[in-house]
Amino acid sequence: MIRVEHLFKSFDGQKVLNDISFSVPEGEILVILGASGTGKSVLLKCMMGLMKPDKGQIWIDDKEITRLPEGDLLKVRKHIGYLFQEGALYDFMTVYENIAFPLQEHTALDQRAIEAKVKNALELVDLQGVEGKHPSELSGGMKKRVGLARSIILGSKILFCDEPTSGLDPIRSRDISSLIKNVSKRLLCTTVITSHDIRNSFYVADRCALIRDGKIIAMGTRSQMEASSNAFVKEFIH
Amino acid sequence: MIAMDFFRLIIQSLAGLGNALCFLGDILRNVLRGKVRYGEVLRQVYEQGAQSVVIIALTSFATGAVLAIQGAETLSRFGAKQYIAQLVAWSLVREMSPVFTAIIFSAKAGARITAELGTMNVNDQMLATRALGVDPIEYLIVPRMLACFLVMPILTIVSEIVGIAGGYLVGIFEANIPGPYYINQTLRAVRYVDFFSGFAKVFFFAVLVGWICCYQGFVTQGGSLGVGKYTTKAVAYSIIIVILSNTVLTKLIITFWG
Repeated sequence: MIRVEHLFKSFDGQKVLNDISFSVPEGEILVILGASGTGKSVLLKCMMGLMKPDKGQIWIDDKEITRLPEGDLLKVRKHIGYLFQEGALYDFMTVYENIAFPLQEHTALDQRAIEAKVKNALELVDLQGVEGKHPSELSGGMKKRVGLARSIILGSKILFCDEPTSGLDPIRSRDISSLIKNVSKRLLCTTVITSHDIRNSFYVADRCALIRDGKIIAMGTRSQMEASSNAFVKEFIH
Repeated sequence: MIAMDFFRLIIQSLAGLGNALCFLGDILRNVLRGKVRYGEVLRQVYEQGAQSVVIIALTSFATGAVLAIQGAETLSRFGAKQYIAQLVAWSLVREMSPVFTAIIFSAKAGARITAELGTMNVNDQMLATRALGVDPIEYLIVPRMLACFLVMPILTIVSEIVGIAGGYLVGIFEANIPGPYYINQTLRAVRYVDFFSGFAKVFFFAVLVGWICCYQGFVTQGGSLGVGKYTTKAVAYSIIIVILSNTVLTKLIITFWG
């Protein structure tokens, strides 16, 4: 369902992504691991079409997106949910308005149907009674839940999560990881998550990929990663 | 080395201008294709207008009053005190109201636009808009830009009326000019061409201020420090451009319009 082929991206001559290739089959949760600043978020933004790679191809549902103009990319993005690191909720909107926004933009649903869908999405992320609050009144974990609710509201079958556990305490990290896993499996989403949180990544992932110096140096299930003989992989996961 | 730095600066400036022109092109394309969210435009009109109207009214009143005080002092030396009304009306309608309104609007509403968009940018909300399949130019920029275009002429009219009222009060209480005479002189002084030449400038300033402030917000980077930096830049550029372009516009209007 998602295929990345020989992806390259540099900033001011510094190679951030250096020949990245992988694929994610339908319904799988792939976690891309790596230390901070290794290009995980850049990779995810390229996959979302928010950033143009220098070279390489990205296939989403048999559509190559790297050469699409912005107008066509907007259409592709309607079918992908994206959870930003800090939630990226609109400050000037309430929680309800934030979650309802994609529905108002891309569907012809009436007010009552939108209300029902928002309520349902909030139940799914285990967050109720906050519809009237503004993002500034929410904790970091709540913002991420609202962000997750907004990213799945259109029923997308692809979900990208950028560092969903960053800035959260271990208990909240576990909660949000478990939530992403449940939501993803329940909605049969193909999910790509970037993270440097090993414990929660192993918990949530079907497969993991480890990035170093812009390259994927190891990829596989938890047991395959743990059995790796690569010194950096061993050091990173233990 | 200095030549190299200078050359790099020129290239960067040209690239920046090119990007800003493409940005303006994107806005125009959206407007021409009818991609305008009227509800959002109205909200922006209210916010930008309500934010600037009091300060513009106050400064215009004071400006009109000062013009009348200075006019009374100077014109009475030549026995021409009765021309105070003309002086105040011409100055305000042709020059001062359009320019002052644009400058104050840049500092109040323009700064707000840049800070708002810049904060959205550094908090990934602009990126989130694209990620949600919505064009940020259409959703966030076009309404603000159109609101500038609608609000600034209204504020200019407010400025002209309040400024003339300031001059009127000084005229009747300080210079002892009869009220009906002052009003009559004002109405006779301001011809359509005076009013519309000032108004033409306002539309031009509105595009410039809206464009500069929206663009600076749209390209803001560097966290909260960046928001401060780009907001200051937006206000400074707007004021400079308004003042410089006013010189050219005044010359053109006087040459071709009279």
